[in-house]
Formats: sequence, structure tokens, C-alpha cells
Amino acid sequence: MKTLKFLSILALSLFAATSCMNDHDAPNFEQPPYGNNEIGEANTDIVELKTKYASTISGNGFEQFTDETIIEGVVVANDETGNVYKQLVINDKTGAIIIGIDDVGLYSVLPIGTRVRLNCKNLYIGGYGSLAQIGTKYFNTKYSEYQIGRMSKFDFQKHVKIMGKAASTEPEMTPMVVTEDFLADSNNKNSAPIYVVLKNVSIAEADGTRKFAPEEEQISETNTAVERNVSIGKQKVIFRLSTYADFANEVIPQGNFDITGVLTRYRNPGSSSKDYWQFMLTSTADMKPVTE
Amino acid sequence: MIKLFKPAALLLLCLAGATGSAVQAQEMSASSTGQKKEGLIKQQPSRMLFADTLLTGEASRMSNVITISDDNNDSYTFSESQLGDDDDYAGTTAMTSSNDDYFLSEVGYLFSPMRFRVRAYESMYNNVYANGVLLNDAERGQFSYGMIGGLNDATRNKEGVSAFEHNNFSFSPIGGSSNINMRASQYAAGHKASLVGCNRNYLARAMYTYSTGLMDNGWAFTGSASYRWANEGVIEGTFYNSFAYFLAAEKKINDRHSISIATWGSPTERAQQGAATEEAYWLAGSHYYNPNWGYQNGEKRNARVVNSYEPSLLLTWDYKINDKAKLTTSLFGKYSMYSTSALGWNGNAADPRPNYYKNLPSSAYDVWDLEYTPSESELNNYMQLYNYWQESKANRQINWDYMYYANQQANAVGGECLYYVERRHNDQLAVNLSSVLNIDYNRNNKGTFGVQLGTTKGMHYKTMDDLLGAEKYTDIDKFSVGDFGINSDYVQNDVDNPNRQIREDDKFGYDYDLNVNKASLFYQHQYNKGIMSLFAGANIEGTTMERNGHMRNGRAQLFSKGSSGTAYFLGGGAKMGISLAFNTNNVLTLGAGFENRAPIAYNSFIAPRMRNDFVQGLENENIFSAEASYKLTAGPVTTKISGYYSVFKSLTEQSAFYNDLQSQFTYLTMTGVDKVHYGVEAAIVWNVTSALSFNAVAAVGNAEYTDDVNGFLISENEEVVMNDKVYMDGVKVDGTPLTALSLGVDYNTNGWYLSANVNYYDNIYIDASKYARLGSVVGEPVIDATTGAMILNKPSQFQGKGGIMVDASIGKSINLRGGKKLNINLSLNNILNNQKMITGGYEQNRGDVYADGDARTYKFSKNPFLYYANAFNAYLNVGLRF
Repeated sequence: MKTLKFLSILALSLFAATSCMNDHDAPNFEQPPYGNNEIGEANTDIVELKTKYASTISGNGFEQFTDETIIEGVVVANDETGNVYKQLVINDKTGAIIIGIDDVGLYSVLPIGTRVRLNCKNLYIGGYGSLAQIGTKYFNTKYSEYQIGRMSKFDFQKHVKIMGKAASTEPEMTPMVVTEDFLADSNNKNSAPIYVVLKNVSIAEADGTRKFAPEEEQISETNTAVERNVSIGKQKVIFRLSTYADFANEVIPQGNFDITGVLTRYRNPGSSSKDYWQFMLTSTADMKPVTE
Repeated sequence: MIKLFKPAALLLLCLAGATGSAVQAQEMSASSTGQKKEGLIKQQPSRMLFADTLLTGEASRMSNVITISDDNNDSYTFSESQLGDDDDYAGTTAMTSSNDDYFLSEVGYLFSPMRFRVRAYESMYNNVYANGVLLNDAERGQFSYGMIGGLNDATRNKEGVSAFEHNNFSFSPIGGSSNINMRASQYAAGHKASLVGCNRNYLARAMYTYSTGLMDNGWAFTGSASYRWANEGVIEGTFYNSFAYFLAAEKKINDRHSISIATWGSPTERAQQGAATEEAYWLAGSHYYNPNWGYQNGEKRNARVVNSYEPSLLLTWDYKINDKAKLTTSLFGKYSMYSTSALGWNGNAADPRPNYYKNLPSSAYDVWDLEYTPSESELNNYMQLYNYWQESKANRQINWDYMYYANQQANAVGGECLYYVERRHNDQLAVNLSSVLNIDYNRNNKGTFGVQLGTTKGMHYKTMDDLLGAEKYTDIDKFSVGDFGINSDYVQNDVDNPNRQIREDDKFGYDYDLNVNKASLFYQHQYNKGIMSLFAGANIEGTTMERNGHMRNGRAQLFSKGSSGTAYFLGGGAKMGISLAFNTNNVLTLGAGFENRAPIAYNSFIAPRMRNDFVQGLENENIFSAEASYKLTAGPVTTKISGYYSVFKSLTEQSAFYNDLQSQFTYLTMTGVDKVHYGVEAAIVWNVTSALSFNAVAAVGNAEYTDDVNGFLISENEEVVMNDKVYMDGVKVDGTPLTALSLGVDYNTNGWYLSANVNYYDNIYIDASKYARLGSVVGEPVIDATTGAMILNKPSQFQGKGGIMVDASIGKSINLRGGKKLNINLSLNNILNNQKMITGGYEQNRGDVYADGDARTYKFSKNPFLYYANAFNAYLNVGLRF
């Protein structure tokens, strides 16, 4: 029995000695473990950039920033649902611009409402369908020419600084209310992208059964977008929705909504008369039903 | 020069007690790859050198693969190999025969660095018993070595038998059986303590065993305890923390009755190594790169941690009925807790695995097409990815800080958890009863009659291990959201508890039990007359299986919760063996057998994580096996040569993987699988003197699928089962060298013993992708331009290269005063530090072509995941008996 006692004491003491090796403390961040925390204060604003490079943008060209050019704004559109893909839109007090980034899951560190600074030096600004965006140049093998394209995730991290936690109370989160008159003036298209709210509108296709972006309705085999239409008075805005969006197979709700998102344009490079207002929706949560 | 000096230098390092020798080895190999890298950047940043070092001539291994869909993230990607890795290497030690079979007694240990399996049989064809009762897991059929981990002393006393020889405890399956004797009185009386230092999965082991022997009062007690430890094992980012205990008591009531009880367990926590592609190994400068870990707060953390503990209890009643009859009855029960952790990512968060293909340079452009000239932006992309891997070690590992940060950002906007660690549980409650009657009828005849009953409840579920600081996780299937919309019932993992909020340790995702019951009877008879020894046996076995779901899955609402109903299988087998001892120097043995057995429950449900339905056309397996061996002794030379031929018919096999075709986690079940295993085994021992002997061992065989088979595919977001052909004909059995040869020398003198072996391995295959061999992926036959014949573009299976590994050991046994004995043994493995031996791996279950027919940039077909045999390692054991 002495032996048994000895053995059990030995067993117990060994057991006690084997504490868990898989315990880890949660990290505390003084600075975000993402991006470039060295970026200094903004020295320009988004509208100033869009104005300076207006002809490049509308001509679908691109140009490199050679000087220290820092903008600061708040993320107003991202890839949370997969409708927006490899893009962010940031908005400051003057306007909004698209940032093209060759990465997925951007919303995980850059949710809507996150304040960021972007140092544009060495990046490119240009136009795609005459819509302003910041990225890098890339060679389009289909057309055998360079265009404005997405920067790599490594380049993005060198040029971005996250300024704290996201908050919906940021002043830049107030969208512009779009009127029929605004849409009617085609000069306004040069201001795109614009962070807006479409007040009291309905989606034309909503009939109680049609879905937002089912694969059966995509534009072509290689173009996975589905178009839906919203009218404000006589003016039309085309919703470009992706079949990969999380809400692609949800039924479009009927009724009127205040829809917040980014108003963009697409001008067909081949025919300048084909110049449309389009709309970039991050999530169906941005469609607030209007109760009368 | 370096080549010559490396082994010597490593040997010295090791003798100096440096456990860092493998690290040293890795640095050396890194420096040589470093030169390659430099050359690469200077001359031709467009080509990856690993491609031609590994896959020369493999450029056309796979072509014409038709795949559909875009890249989605695949949080649930795990291959069939990973499914099987739960128990890690099962090994072949159980095959070790107590008989004087040099081949079987040697190969288990000798070839274990290459994970050799005798005759390439799966471990489910090898039974492990304790005091006559079966310990194998009834769901998967195999024995879990983790159950007795660290209990080497307590489990050393065992009897091994091959399939075609008489034994007193079982109807052995074709891979043989072993029976561990756990009766307290059977352990040598006294104390035994040992210490081990090594550079393997663990770095140190302490073990203590004490046995009273059978005391005058009829009692015997034995206890053993051990602890195995590594704060970091030889593979970076792994750890090992394992305690083990064994307690046994036996009471000899009288000459006829004896009762014994034993209880044991091995609570273990260990972090795993992960496989990677050759490109990742090349970038990391080592074949021992482990993608499973990363830094959190500057400390290493591994995402795949196994927790296992299988407390077991064994009661045995030995009843000597008379001088000719003996009855052994044992009752075994266990409650095993086994789980592995894995990273999970939610919503549309990016795949956090460092070796995810989009993080690899070869995703930038097609590096395999040597004619292709990359564009400036492609090259730039390639170099950015390449440089990222080279800049720091942290960059090629998991970024835990990033995941915590992302969750904090999500918390700020009330968003869903983005990254988490889940824990996949395979728990099991099992009770097995066995009663075996051994009768010596007369001098020439003896028989063994046995009955075995067993019931097993396997509990399968996952829990939230760590939310990584996130505050909100909703239990839905993220893959289904895009198909059905967030508000649909279909996205719910449990419709009865919709949108359940998951906290740490909560169950989520899936939760079901597999219930398996087995009953079997066997009889064996042995007849000896003159030069002949004849053995015959037969068994009959009934099996029932049932799935019982605890969640009503949104994609299978009518058949996920509750019972699947019970399936019944009746099987049986018969076998015979004959041994002819012409004289003591010439013995011929022949054996043949047939077995019809139930499929394993683990493969019997078409999508067990969500549905109750059985695989269509589920049927018993049929196994035919025959062997012949000849043992010849001529003077100091003993040889034995054996040939075997085994045919497996109507097997059911299942793989699970992320499927591009469906953008979903998918099960692929193959029924009607046929295989053949055949080969030759030989051993020769030449005792030059009583102190010196030379030996040679050879296992040369083949094991492959012999037919194309039916496949049933079902995705976790679909209700429809799809049928497809799987081109499996000619695919080799993986994860073991089919050729293993050894030359050795043993020398014993004055308590010293030395041995050395040169081992050669070849014909090593990895797990073939079933996806790549689907009819819909392979496509229609095409006309060969030169011969005009119709050919199918089936992929060829990835094969590791053959090579040599050298092992040696030196030991000394010292008799101390008072009958004490000290044993010291040093084993050196892979002395030449061959770091190019592939032990196994798996081809990727993804295709090279997009839905629209465009080629993908990244070639999944050329990037299998591989495991390499350990680099040079040493094992020092000091044992004291007192």
C-alpha cells in the first residue's frame, strides 16, 4: 500500500507539473499592426487631386505622383459583402476617390468609418471609364496598353496609415443628397465618385421574386455583373451588382428606400455619348426603408 | 567539401549534446539555397529554381483540367491526408512478431523514419488487443497509438502474430495482431527509471515504473508514469506536453482464478507540423518549414494543437478450467477525448494561412511555362511576393496580431468575428467485452474459441476555441450566404437555434454521434503431425451503425437531426495455413484467407457533418490474401523469403475538401474500390561470430488501385448528390515506401552493443487527388497527335525520389552492485542528413483552369503538399533498473 501511495503522489505531482503550453496573451496595440504608421499629416484634399488631374482622369490616362501627396479621409465603401471587389472608396470633406488594391478581405482592417491617410507618392492616379481612381499602372494584355490598375497589397501597406477605430460619427460620413437636377447636369459626372444618398427611391426590378444579382442574369459569361435600375425623376442610376455578392441571391425588397453608397460614372471610351451614372453599393444594410 | 564534413560535424555536435543540430543542418541548406536565390534575382528573376530541382520533366504532369468557378477562400480546405492525420503515424510496430521472424521484428523500427507500413496495408487491417480484448477504434477501424503514448514500459510485454498463424486471442486481420499483456503480475519486479534526451517531436522524456511482482499474498501491483516534453520540438513552432500513467493490480485468488484491473491514460497537448509545397520550402530555405505557427505578441503560437486524453479501464478474469482449458475474459472501457484546433475565417475575410497560394510568387505568372515572358507588372508582383517571404521569418508565418487587430476593428462597428480558432472534436465512449477459450484437445490438436462484443459512441462536433478578441460570432454557413441570402433558413447550421451567438467553448457548425455495435465469434484450430503444422480459422461478425444528429442543418432540414436509422452488416471470413518443417533448417509456410467485413462507419455517411443518409450502395469489403514463405538455415546464415498477394474488393473510401466546382466544402465518396497489394519480403542474417553479425532486409512490393470507380459528390450547400467517375486505376497506395532495403551490422562485446544500417527507400507516392481524377475534371478522351489513339489526360501521381538514409546506435549495459543495472543507448538517425526524402503528402484538390476555360496563373497540379523525413537526429536513453 505504501507503494501505491508513492505512485499516486508521483502521478499527481507530475500531472500538476504539466500545465497548459497553449496559453497566449491577447496583443495590445499601440499602433495598428497594418500599414505605415510613419505617414504624416495631409497636405492636400481629394477634390484638389481630382481637379489637378481632371484631364488625365477623363481621358482614361494615368499619371504618377512624384511629390509627397497625402490625403486623409474615411472609408465609405469596401468589400464587406463582396459586391465591391478589390477596391475601397475614401471620402474627405471635399469628395471621394476610389483606391484600387489587389487584395481581398480589405474590410477586415478597414471597416466603413475608418479614418485613413494615404501617401500617394509613387502611386498613380488615372481614369477608368473616366472615373477617378488611385492605384498603379498595369499592362492590359487584352488591349496591349498600360492602364490605371490596382496596387499590390504590399504597396498599399506602405502608403496607408490607419488613424484609429472606425466610427459612424465621422463628419465625412455624411452623404450628399442627390437630386434629379444634379444628375441631369452631365458636368457633375467629372466629380465622381461621390458619397451620396438616393432619397426615397425604389429598384425598378423589385417585383417580390427577382433577386439582386443571380448568375442567370449576369451580363455575359465573362462579366459577372448584373444591372438594376433606380430612377430619380427622369434621371437613371444603374446599380452594378456582382453575382459574387453575399446578397446576390436575396430577393430585391419592394418599396422605397434611402440608399447610401457611392455614385460613380462609366463613360464608354469608344463612344463618349455613352456616359452613365452608376452606383456602388457596399451592403443591403445601406438601404433604409422609407416609412410614410 | 561541405558534403563530406557535414555528417562528421553534425556527429560531433550531437555527441556534445547539442540538440540544435538539425537547426544547423537547416542553416546549411538555407545557405546553399541562398546562393540559388542570388542567382535567381540577378540573372532570371522569372524562374523558380525549385521547379527544375524537384519536378524535372514533370511539365506535362497534368493538362486539360476543366474546372469551374472563381477562387473563393477555403477555410475548410483539408485534404483526406489531414483527415487521416488525427492519429498521426500509426506505424507498424504492432506487426512485430514474437516469433523468430527477423523481417517483422526489424522493419517496424528500422523503416519507421519513412513511415513504412508492412505490405502497405492501412492501419485498420492491424488489430491491437490488451489481455485479449480489442482496442481498435470501431469507427475507423484503427488503433490510436496516442492511447498508450509514453507508456513504453507498461506496454512492452506483447505478443505479435501474423495473419496466417495460430494464436490464442484473435481472428487476426491480414495486417496481423498484437496482444499487450497488462496483468500486473507479468511485469518484472523492481524499479525502473529512464531518461531520454533527443531532438524529435519531444526533447526529453522521464519514465518511472515499479512492479511488486506477484507477492506472497497473491497480489501484484504495477505502476508506471512518464512525462514527455518539448517547449519547441525539432520542427519550429511545435511543442509537446504529455503526461502518462498506468496503474494495475492483480489478485491471484487461487490456482484457477485470477482477477486483474488496469487503468491508464496519456493526457497530451501537442502542436503539429503542417505540410507545404516545394515552393514554400524553397522560399523558407528548409524542408522543415512549418506553416502552422506565427508570432503573437512576439511569441510563437501554433494554430493546430492536438489535445488528447483517452482514460481507459481494463478488467480481466483468467480462469483455468482445468489443465487443458483456459478461459480469458476481459472488459475494456474508454472515454476518449481527442480534438485538433484549426484557424477559421469568417465572412469575406482573407485566408490567413501564410502559404495560401495567392501569397506565393508563382501565383504572379505561369513560371512553369518556360516559353512565357512575364510582363513588367507580373515580374514586379513576383518579386514583391518573393521579397516578402525573404524579408523576415515572421512574414512566412501566421500573423496572429493582424487577426486580433481585424477582430478589434470589427468590434468597433459591431461586426462579426473575422478570425477565430475552432476545435474539432472526435470523442468516443467505447465498451468492449471479450471471452476467449483455449483448449488443448490432445498432443496434436488445440483450438481457440472467442466471442467479442463491442459498442461505441463517437461524438463529433466543433467548439469555438478562441475568438481572438472578437465579440460576435453567428453560427451560419458562410459559403451558403451567397447562394441563398443571409435571411434564408438554408444558411443556418442549426435551424432550431437560428443565428445562435457563439461564445468560446460553445458547440457550433456540426454536432453528431456515430453509434457502432459489433459482435463476433471465431474459432481456430491447430493440428500438428510430423513435419506438418496445419492451422484453420473462421469468424463471423455482425455490425450495426447509425448516425444521430444533434443539429437541424439548414441545407438538410429533413434528414440531419435525429437518427439515420440503423444499417446492419453481416460479415465473416476463413483462412488456412500450413507449415512444413522438412527439417530444422528448411521450413515452408503457406497461408490463404478470405474476409468479408463491414465498411468502416467513418466512411459510410455521404456527408456526415450535416446529413443522416448512408452512402448509396454501401456494401461489405472483400479481402483475399495468400502468402508463401521459405525459411532456410545454412550454418551461420538464416534466411527467410516471403511472397504475398492480397486483393481488396468493394472498399468504400471518402475524401473531404474544398471544391472549386461548387465553391463549397465537399465530400467525395468512392464505392466499389478495388486494390491489389503484392510483393516480396526477405531477410538474411549471417552470424559471423557470436559477437558479429551482418543482416539484410528487403521489402519490395506494389500496392495500387485496380479499377476506375464510382464517386458520389455532395457539397455542404447542396441537397443533390452528384455521380461521377473517378479515374483511380493504377493510382498507388501512398504514405509508405513500396521499396525498402536495408544492410546492417551488429556487434556485441562485453556489454557493448553497436549497430549500423544503411537503408534505401524508393517508390514513395503521395495521396492522389481524387478531384483531379474526376470524370468531369479529366474530360473527354482526345486524339493523340502522333499515334492517333484516343487518350485521356489523366494526371500522373506525384512520386518522391528514392534515397539512402544511414542509422547507427551504440549502447552499453553495466551491472552495478546489488543487482542494479545501468543501460545507456545512443541512436543516431539519418547520419548523412538526407533532407530530400519525402514521406508522404497530398496533391491539391483544385484545378488549373477557371470556369471560362482560361488557365489559372497558379498551377495547383504542380504544387502538391509534401512532408519530409526528419533530418539528422539523435536519441540518448539512460535507464536504471533497481
